[in-house]
Amino acid sequence: MTDNRLAGRTAIITGAGQGVGEGIARALARDGARVVIAARRSETGEPVAEAIRANGGEAMCIVTDVTNRESMAECVNKTVAKFGGLEIMVHNAFRGGRPHRLEELDDELWQQNSRTAVWGSYYSAVLAFPYLSVAGDRGRLIFITSPAGVEGSANLPAYGSVKAAQRAMAKSLAREWGPLGITVNCVAPVAETPALTSAFSQNPALKSLIEDRTSLRRIGDPEHDIGAVASFLAGDEASYVSGQTLVCDGGSFLGL
Amino acid sequence: MKVLDGKVCVVTGAEYALGAGLAAGLTDAGAAVALLGDVSALTPVVADLEATAARVAAVECRFDSRESIESAFSVIPDALGSAANGVVHAWMPATAYEPMDLVAVDDARWNSVWEGALNATRYVLQSSFSVLSNRTDDSNGGRIVVITPTVALSGAAGLVPYTTAVEGMRLMAKSAARQWGPNGITVNCLAPAPEQVPIGVASMAVSLAPPALGGPGDVVVDLAPIVAFLLSDAAHGLTGATLCADGGVWMAP
Repeated sequence: MTDNRLAGRTAIITGAGQGVGEGIARALARDGARVVIAARRSETGEPVAEAIRANGGEAMCIVTDVTNRESMAECVNKTVAKFGGLEIMVHNAFRGGRPHRLEELDDELWQQNSRTAVWGSYYSAVLAFPYLSVAGDRGRLIFITSPAGVEGSANLPAYGSVKAAQRAMAKSLAREWGPLGITVNCVAPVAETPALTSAFSQNPALKSLIEDRTSLRRIGDPEHDIGAVASFLAGDEASYVSGQTLVCDGGSFLGL
Repeated sequence: MKVLDGKVCVVTGAEYALGAGLAAGLTDAGAAVALLGDVSALTPVVADLEATAARVAAVECRFDSRESIESAFSVIPDALGSAANGVVHAWMPATAYEPMDLVAVDDARWNSVWEGALNATRYVLQSSFSVLSNRTDDSNGGRIVVITPTVALSGAAGLVPYTTAVEGMRLMAKSAARQWGPNGITVNCLAPAPEQVPIGVASMAVSLAPPALGGPGDVVVDLAPIVAFLLSDAAHGLTGATLCADGGVWMAP
């Protein structure tokens, strides 16, 4: 992407203390956006913000609980107070990826999935809306979903459900907010993240299993593969793309 | 011989026209039908079905309680002579059917629609699994059909909570299909036109193409036979599918 194509724009990325969220934050900052690292813990968020600043970017960390309206409102308010506006909202934070059987899915695990993915998306949307609407055709709402939200999952049924819910939310919001110029899209990545690395350590065969079914025979890099696509959606080049899910999995799921 | 002779089917959501019409169609196809929900609201539906000599029972249950739904499933053998071997889940919280811009939706409404619909679906699927996986007869597995209107595939302004919930339900059904296939249980979705649910949206509002078959169809005449097939032994090789039965509007993929 062109350097500074997002200059003058401010982005919040939830769950940016690691993994895909960190990769997106780094990519948006590289392309010139001011980025807010909305992380549950400063121990993970602050180093990401510091690394971006060390590379010449503009970044700050705001400790944020995406499942809590007041915490999300504070994140948005602090962002606008610091940077003067908000053009790009990326909701990526998620918790609850423990394998389970649907018949045994209890309220605790369901709530982890539901609160982080779906309630977090709802709060991201309604709390960012006053500023995205001012941004008009530069307003962007991006949800990080998953191929499991299209295909379903044999191991993570709650995850598939909440990730599909995000896709539907994006479609309806794209129609609702389109007249204002705001675009709403999803990115469905497969990327080398701490969660996936942990899964590989527990199941060493898993990595080659995923790579073998992937056209490009590799697992995505959070910044250069996934972040680049999120940055595309955040920019002017994607102003006519809305309500879509871009599956960034190296050519594994080809069913759309 | 009718396609569902000898079958006992559960239908949720018969308080509304879509669920009631599907129940009527399933009795036409030979099934005995248990309507789960608010019995006071279901009484007129039961009376209409009984007037056609259908075997039908209304069973009280609350969809915010797994225990209540499990209890309702447990009384079906006494009411209809056999445990259920087919389930049609069409229930949604009433608040889901109230269009509203998202910025006007508060936490209580979001909770009512999203958590209400998904908890109900989870509990109905879990209760269904418990019954269907424990059948000891030779009924060729169990069948579950979840109703997910096409408007959740297309999206619609003013219906963010509803469409979010319906797609969450649809993918929960897909994952159930993946997990429960080895148990002989199939799980599919039927996607009717938006006109079939009280959300005030017409197919043409979310599609440039008119219905190829001329309209959204009649629930009893057009949709129920599709559901009856999905509940039948003949559909044992079909799972994880979404059948769009909207008159030929939504044709993706």
